[in-house]
Amino acid sequence: MPIQILPDEVASQIAAGEVVERPASVVKELVENSLDAGASYISITIEGAGQKLIEVADDGVGISPDQLELALSRHATSKLHNAADLQHIATLGFRGEALASIASVSRFSIVSRPKDSEAGAQLQVDGGEAGTLEPIGAPAGTVVRVEDLFYNVPARRKFLKKDATERRQIDALVTRYALAYPNVRFQLRQENRSSLQTSGNGDAREVLAALYGADIARQMLEVNADYDEVKLTGFISPTGVTRGNRREITFFVNGRWVQDYTLTAALVQAYHTMLMVGRYPVAVVFLQVDPELVDVNVHPAKSEVRFQQRDQIFSSVQRATRRALLAYTPVPTMDFNAQTRWTPAEPQTYQQRTVGPAWDMAGEASGEEQDQEETTETQTPLPRSDVPLLRLVGQVGSAYLVAEGPDGLYLIDQHAAHERVLFERFMQQLKEQVNAIPSQALLEPVTVELSSQETRLLEDQLSVMQSLGFGVEPFGPDTFILRAMPALLLGSDPMEALRVVIEDFEEDETPLQDQIEAKVIARVCKRAAVKAGQNLSQEEQRALLRDLENSKSPRTCPHGRPTMIHLSIDLLEGQFGRKGAR
Amino acid sequence: MKVSVLQENLAKGLGIVSRAVSPRSTLPVLANVLVATDEGRLRLSATNLELGITCWIGAKIEEEGSTTVPSRTFSDLINTLPNEQIDMDLNVRSQSLHVNSATSNTDIKCIDAQEFPPMPAYELDGGMELNVSDLKEMIRQVAFAASTDEARPVLTGVLITVEDGELTMAAADGFRLSVRTADLSNGNSPSVHAVVPARALSELARIAGDGDETVTMVLPPGRGQVVFRLPDIELTSQLIEGNFPEYEQIIPNGSKTRTVVATDAFLKACKQAEIFAREGSLIARLNITPGDDMQPGAIEISAQSEETGSNETVVDATIEGDPVLIAFNVRFLREVLDVVETPNVALETTASAAPGMIRPLGEDGFLHVIMPMHLGN
Repeated sequence: MPIQILPDEVASQIAAGEVVERPASVVKELVENSLDAGASYISITIEGAGQKLIEVADDGVGISPDQLELALSRHATSKLHNAADLQHIATLGFRGEALASIASVSRFSIVSRPKDSEAGAQLQVDGGEAGTLEPIGAPAGTVVRVEDLFYNVPARRKFLKKDATERRQIDALVTRYALAYPNVRFQLRQENRSSLQTSGNGDAREVLAALYGADIARQMLEVNADYDEVKLTGFISPTGVTRGNRREITFFVNGRWVQDYTLTAALVQAYHTMLMVGRYPVAVVFLQVDPELVDVNVHPAKSEVRFQQRDQIFSSVQRATRRALLAYTPVPTMDFNAQTRWTPAEPQTYQQRTVGPAWDMAGEASGEEQDQEETTETQTPLPRSDVPLLRLVGQVGSAYLVAEGPDGLYLIDQHAAHERVLFERFMQQLKEQVNAIPSQALLEPVTVELSSQETRLLEDQLSVMQSLGFGVEPFGPDTFILRAMPALLLGSDPMEALRVVIEDFEEDETPLQDQIEAKVIARVCKRAAVKAGQNLSQEEQRALLRDLENSKSPRTCPHGRPTMIHLSIDLLEGQFGRKGAR
Repeated sequence: MKVSVLQENLAKGLGIVSRAVSPRSTLPVLANVLVATDEGRLRLSATNLELGITCWIGAKIEEEGSTTVPSRTFSDLINTLPNEQIDMDLNVRSQSLHVNSATSNTDIKCIDAQEFPPMPAYELDGGMELNVSDLKEMIRQVAFAASTDEARPVLTGVLITVEDGELTMAAADGFRLSVRTADLSNGNSPSVHAVVPARALSELARIAGDGDETVTMVLPPGRGQVVFRLPDIELTSQLIEGNFPEYEQIIPNGSKTRTVVATDAFLKACKQAEIFAREGSLIARLNITPGDDMQPGAIEISAQSEETGSNETVVDATIEGDPVLIAFNVRFLREVLDVVETPNVALETTASAAPGMIRPLGEDGFLHVIMPMHLGN
């Protein structure tokens, strides 16, 4: 085949692929343009999760009619003039690609009027083909409408996630910009309902409340530090507010939302020893760095940046965070944490160090066990338990039970074992009582404030939650009322239990409906089960063993980790040299 | 310090104060008991910084002084000594306490009394006076309903309010509420609104004697503490800060079904049901059927478990109102029936999703609310 230069429209569709990955990236580019145009009010309207319509309207400087056509051609920008300008970029955009790229994969229209001109102009572009420029009356500022996104790129459309996921991405994005620009009034409407509204009065905490709920916003600690190479401001969570993932750690570098693993790592390190393993803080941190010392021209989406003084930036973030944490965290809370937040020792390394290759782990066939676990739900008359009757010997390191069976020694992980027991009880109840888990009504219903993202997640799964015994109902915008909780979780904080489950929705973006119950239950059980580090009375230890013996698949926890290690008599004898080396 | 005491008195005093000792504290002196001469008597004090107990015992004092003695060592030693006079002599420089009984000589290493947290003496004027046996009954009826979960500290306490010469104690753990009121003997007490740790009240009930003694309760202004004073004992506790739920709103107004039943029979039925309910979620179903001309009304209490089996008990009852089917956590039910003193008790219910209320028949001061459980929607 002869080599040829690609036609313009193909080239721009390829380029669009880098900038416009999904509806949220369109929103990002348009909002950044509005911010660069000095808007004080930005209104975003989304329909069909961004596939039907994305409209971004602002009251910024606008584009004069004679430049409108130019604005839509590739590598056209007002933000940059020569290559040297790249060294000190102070605007969010600069590549001059966004509008052209978006226009090439959608039905695009732009209406704009600069403040000082009488009339505005409108330009329609359909899949990259520009229509004619028409004069039109319009308020000062720019309105961009993107309709039928990816209508001419079916391959891309196929890879979009569920609508709910795309909507959530947009939500997350706009809220983060609202946080970074508290002086700008943001309004986000998704599918005809208001999903975010900020007043633009410069109070970042107010936006924080929209993002995480008023309760958490109140607790957030302020970071404010000025170092030579970087100026840091923002909010970090106290040690009592944590999440199960790093997703709620947000960084802005010179007003641009970036995803940078080193910054995240620095922040998390500052919390070292204060948080339980697997828990992460919530944080929104703004970095002001000299534009010359940071390279934002790494990727078209501009979510990656390169710092010239990476190490200094890293240590500044860590220092500032640590200082804010120590300054604001009241001593009693820390004491409390020290008592209850136990950091698990590392059983695995211990085991590797002392256990020779000859040691046989009962849980090693965990893949097989899992298979069995799945089939268990369907085959009812399963032979009860493959664990023999166990005699309790004692507890080791407040984390493991030691027991004797007819064929040797068993070491049992108390947390995993309890998780398994709770999980099966829950599933049993679910099956037995025809989709009804006993729930215990609360004396005083609690209201739970959630962010709009979390609200949407919870709304989608409301019926699942109810069938699991959470008596939860919508109670005003972004607020729910919890009237009852699963009786099995008695003794744990109802609100905490609910939050854990919502976090689980967030982590699993597309769980199948029939699996979601089991997943939610597994998650709840993990939280409710006894932890390593908890001393159990003889009575409790015995009860746990008995319950485990009665479980259907006692050898693994619901997440597939082994609950026990078996050391057979043969093996012990071999190890002690009583029966010749093995 | 040089004193002589009777073994019996010292052992009793140490038994009382040792409950406030915190053996695993980071502050070593908190594992000790303060022993000090105090106006012709010997004062023993222990504190874990939340709860402090002081007890005075009769002693012959030859030389004033004070020290702190390791609680465990001291109690164990004193308990094995014969019931005779014990002479104690402190070597101030080495902080070594010489304990001399008829048969044995002991030296115990002590910690200087200076290191012991100060336990201020409060004026007891203007405190309210209560009969000890009344107070103990109130505590028994309320404290068990407090939460043991530290997640919401205020619920681990008992709300004590005094208003218009009436004392009220209330405790709730999020699923049930226990409220008990009593008239005060000295009418015009100042009004009080404080949350006292349930544990402190339980300790108070334990150390208070049985007879007709009076106990004085004082809340020294601005200290965040409450002091209970018995004739020779003083218990001080930190108050819990925070807003106690507005429990009056939780108490249902009226009911559709009122079931009067013999407390004893009801309690036994609940105990039986609990045996079978404890495997699951402690859920027990109450089927309340009013009687007619032919037969009396009855509550049928049932519980079942996949593992153990099932149990069903019928208790005769006088029932006014509609039949109702309601489920409760049977342990909650058993615990409240355990503290009802009257022979008959009323269970007031409205619907299967509405709270149930327990009131002893003929004792207006006590009521208990339990939230129902239910199965699915």
